Amino acid sequence: MWLSILGLILGVSLGLLTDIRIPPEYANYLSIAVLAALDTLFGGIRAHLQQVYDDKVFVSGFFFNILLAAGLAFLGVHLGVDLYLAAIFAFGVRLFQNIAVIRRIILSKWTEKKGLRESV
Amino acid sequence: MKKKVISRFTMILFVIGLMTAIQFNTINEPHSRDTRDVWEIRQELSREKQLHSELLSEIGTLDGTLAKYEEAMNDSPEQALKETVEELRKEAGFTEITGPGLQILIEPSQEAIMSGQNIEQVSPELLIRLVNEINRFNNIDLSIDDKRLINTSPIRDINGRTTINGKPVGTPPFEMKVVAGTAEHAEKIYNHLKASPILDNFYIDNLSVNVMQPETEVKVEAYDEELGLEHLKAAEEE
Repeated sequence: MWLSILGLILGVSLGLLTDIRIPPEYANYLSIAVLAALDTLFGGIRAHLQQVYDDKVFVSGFFFNILLAAGLAFLGVHLGVDLYLAAIFAFGVRLFQNIAVIRRIILSKWTEKKGLRESV
Repeated sequence: MKKKVISRFTMILFVIGLMTAIQFNTINEPHSRDTRDVWEIRQELSREKQLHSELLSEIGTLDGTLAKYEEAMNDSPEQALKETVEELRKEAGFTEITGPGLQILIEPSQEAIMSGQNIEQVSPELLIRLVNEINRFNNIDLSIDDKRLINTSPIRDINGRTTINGKPVGTPPFEMKVVAGTAEHAEKIYNHLKASPILDNFYIDNLSVNVMQPETEVKVEAYDEELGLEHLKAAEEE
């Protein structure tokens, strides 16, 4: 777990230190991509906690979701319909659901542990 | 198995972190506008100051002429008038002018010659841009392909040919001559033109602009046509 957080810190610091910038008109796409990535991440954590984690599903979902979200936003710009809202809505709802499930699992695990300790 | 999961999560989190940081960088781009605005105001100010000093010097010249008139009133008013007429003719471009200046050679670019492309005439738009670029400087006399440019000289397309004062400009190569008044002024024009992006615009049209080193003696021809002033009226006496 700590290794994963180290990866996050490494990524953030690399991005901030190298001062990479993308053209402002692409900032929209990147923000949706970040949302998609977060959705996949929390989906992966949930799956892991529910013991249904599959490596292939997780990695392919990560890249596919990002591409789909950015592609949808791109299509929306060219059609004049705010299609990126669909992506934001879908990912946003799923993000909250996943986090809620994760919270419940952790809570139940915690109460189980507590119950065990008390019974001892 | 566990190791693999952690390595996957690490990788994904790394990518997320990187994307977030890039997004952060992009959104928090510092505004460079503010400083530029101050700079623009400064430039505006310097332009206005320059105009101010020009007007002052013009007032000085006119005062000088007035004094000369008053002085000459007693002995020979005719002489003073003749001098003024000569000065005005010179200013309007009816006399040949010699002085320090520079020559600009407009010729087909090497690449166009090498690849055997047709050498086309300079378009009026391009020529007007170049003339405007030179006209940034005051007190200059200018001729293009031996045609003197005066305040009312039109540069335009007549029946598909670029003309100045109604006479067609030759296909390149031809020469522009600029008389700048002082050697220092000529040097300034030379430096300005050398660094000017207008040269690139000529290059797009397969032309190259060769700005020659300033010389001490450049001759600009006189304007040799009648000046049509049918729409001008004398100002009413106050």
